[in-house]
Amino acid sequence: MMIDRNNLPEELLNLPDSAFESLHQEDIKDEKFQTKPVGFFKDAMIRLSHSKVSMLSVALIVLIILLAIIVPNITGYTYVEQNIELKNLPPKIPVLCDLGIADGGRVLEKRKVEALSDTSRYPEGCIIEIVKEYELKGVPMCDVKVDAYVYQGAPDDQYHWFGTDYLGRDLMTRLFQGTRISLLIAFFSVITNCIIGVVYGAIAGYYGGKVDLIMTHVAEILDGMPYTVVAILFMILFGAGMLSIVLALTITGWIGTSRMIRAQFYRYKGREYVLAARTLGVPDATLIFRHILPNCVGPLITRTMIAIPGAIFSESFLAFLGLGIKAPNPSIGVLLSNGQDVLLQYPYQVLFPAILISVLMIAFNLFSNGLRDALDPTKRGEE
Amino acid sequence: MKYVLQRIGAMLLTLFMVMSLSFMVIRLMPMSLFENPEVPKEIQEKLEDKFHLNDPLPVQYFYFMEGIVTGLDFGISVKLRPGLDVWGIIVSRLPPTMLINFISLFISIPLGLIFGIIAALKRNTWIDSTISVFVILFISVPSFVFASLLQYVLTFVFPIFPTLYDSTATTLGAMMWSLTLPIIALSLSPIATLTRYLRGELIENISSDYILLARTKGLSRPQAIVRHAFRNSMMPITSTLVSLITGIMGGSLVVESMFAIPGTGGMLVKSIFAGDHFLTVAILIFYSAISLVTILVVDLSYSLIDPRVRVGGGK
Repeated sequence: MMIDRNNLPEELLNLPDSAFESLHQEDIKDEKFQTKPVGFFKDAMIRLSHSKVSMLSVALIVLIILLAIIVPNITGYTYVEQNIELKNLPPKIPVLCDLGIADGGRVLEKRKVEALSDTSRYPEGCIIEIVKEYELKGVPMCDVKVDAYVYQGAPDDQYHWFGTDYLGRDLMTRLFQGTRISLLIAFFSVITNCIIGVVYGAIAGYYGGKVDLIMTHVAEILDGMPYTVVAILFMILFGAGMLSIVLALTITGWIGTSRMIRAQFYRYKGREYVLAARTLGVPDATLIFRHILPNCVGPLITRTMIAIPGAIFSESFLAFLGLGIKAPNPSIGVLLSNGQDVLLQYPYQVLFPAILISVLMIAFNLFSNGLRDALDPTKRGEE
Repeated sequence: MKYVLQRIGAMLLTLFMVMSLSFMVIRLMPMSLFENPEVPKEIQEKLEDKFHLNDPLPVQYFYFMEGIVTGLDFGISVKLRPGLDVWGIIVSRLPPTMLINFISLFISIPLGLIFGIIAALKRNTWIDSTISVFVILFISVPSFVFASLLQYVLTFVFPIFPTLYDSTATTLGAMMWSLTLPIIALSLSPIATLTRYLRGELIENISSDYILLARTKGLSRPQAIVRHAFRNSMMPITSTLVSLITGIMGGSLVVESMFAIPGTGGMLVKSIFAGDHFLTVAILIFYSAISLVTILVVDLSYSLIDPRVRVGGGK
């Protein structure tokens, strides 16, 4: 017998609730969604925050950025302040110096023992200890460890935590000022690469056909140029300076991003929802940026993060080739390459920038690895 | 065949762009070498002769290109070796550079592959995690930082190796001894890169069906991985070779000058500092040509190994 839903008998329409029985054996615990829906990015962030390594690297990056912002303002020196009298001072740190670490001591070799009491050459209180005594051609000689600060006539309360360079500039101020500049160069070049790459890749991928063919070939030809070569040529052409470094790093730097974006566009532009939007008359620009591009955000973020340590590396690489930023501005690379010249005499001038760039690069690499895993759609919902 | 020609065409175009850029550097530099009072008269005359300075720029451009294409004529050195032919300088500086670059490459490839296989085989054990730590360390820390570290620790604190390249070395052994540190510094990052790639590829391949088949057939796990998974992992590895080689070449620019190795890299740095642009440009064009040939060879061998890659390959 057919029942017409619209013309149900009266008694069936007015059945009391008690006439019904739940087929479900147990009570339904949550009739409403108690938790908020977890979207793709939220899920990624949850997984990222569960990864200890990623969190540690984020902490390191934030710490270094904070130091770069704060330290140059509170050391009491500026990064250009020169004092030739106080050049190449070793590190001296308050509190630690009383323990014999970073006490501003320097070993002077082959000094005549009798001259040690001469206060015009060895100011009072500068001698920390006599390391070794020996005789050379019948003259008693010694290696003596002096407090370089007193020896070179610095005031008692002057401390250079990381020492000073060949012009007597405070290296800690310069190091963190340099970190600022290196990070700025890295961020600017990476963001520029990202924008150019997205636009270029989006156009090539969306329009396809001849446009794509030509654009891909152009990119391919550009990509063949080794980036070291192009960067060096551009730096010579435009001279030292932050802008020319950023420019040199962007000439071929965007190609990887554009290639990735293009591939993503090819994957998504044929989807039904894009077709539907197009049928509704959505213009090309909106289709590109509103409907297709958001699919690429995950890989784009990963790529961008991976590019940052690369840019930091490139900057210091160029500095080593003498194509860094304009003196007297420091950058990590400039400090490293200046320190390299006096590596054997004053190793601390290399040590601190080397540690900083290593920590920075490791942290960025670990973080981008973590980010890549977190944004990997195949791992969604794990953990 | 069409594919090969296409690739060679693209390569020549790229080289053409590098050369054009180089010409711009030489001719459009603000403080050009041609009007520099520091440059001696006779060299300036030689330059004028060589670059046809009285002709309009496009004609000069043509002569510049023609010189390079027909006779490897890159001009003459102005400051470092005044009056000497640039190409001759490069050729005389080539052997040490080639030596350390090739040795680094030939050390890195087998070591990288071995560590990659070990890491994949011992996945999620302490061996794997140890290798991972070193991989991250070596990939992140730039080669010149390692070079500094090695130079300070192994030549100054513990004087095992000579600090700088020993140009007076009479025996091959002594020369190689002084090249050990730069080679180590250059090899660390390629080894780590290769290890990371191979480990990733292998782990992906290990979980595939054909490995399961190989295992059911009776192969042991290492056998299945080395004989089957490894071969399939080699394909993507080939494409990392290019970045590996260019990475070593780039690193050698800096490392050579740190260890005072009389190679083209050190020469490049010196010429940049001295502002000897002909020399700089010639070395850069030379480097581009090498890296382009590398890309070409890798691309072609790629298509040889895997016919699917031959995109424009006729039928």
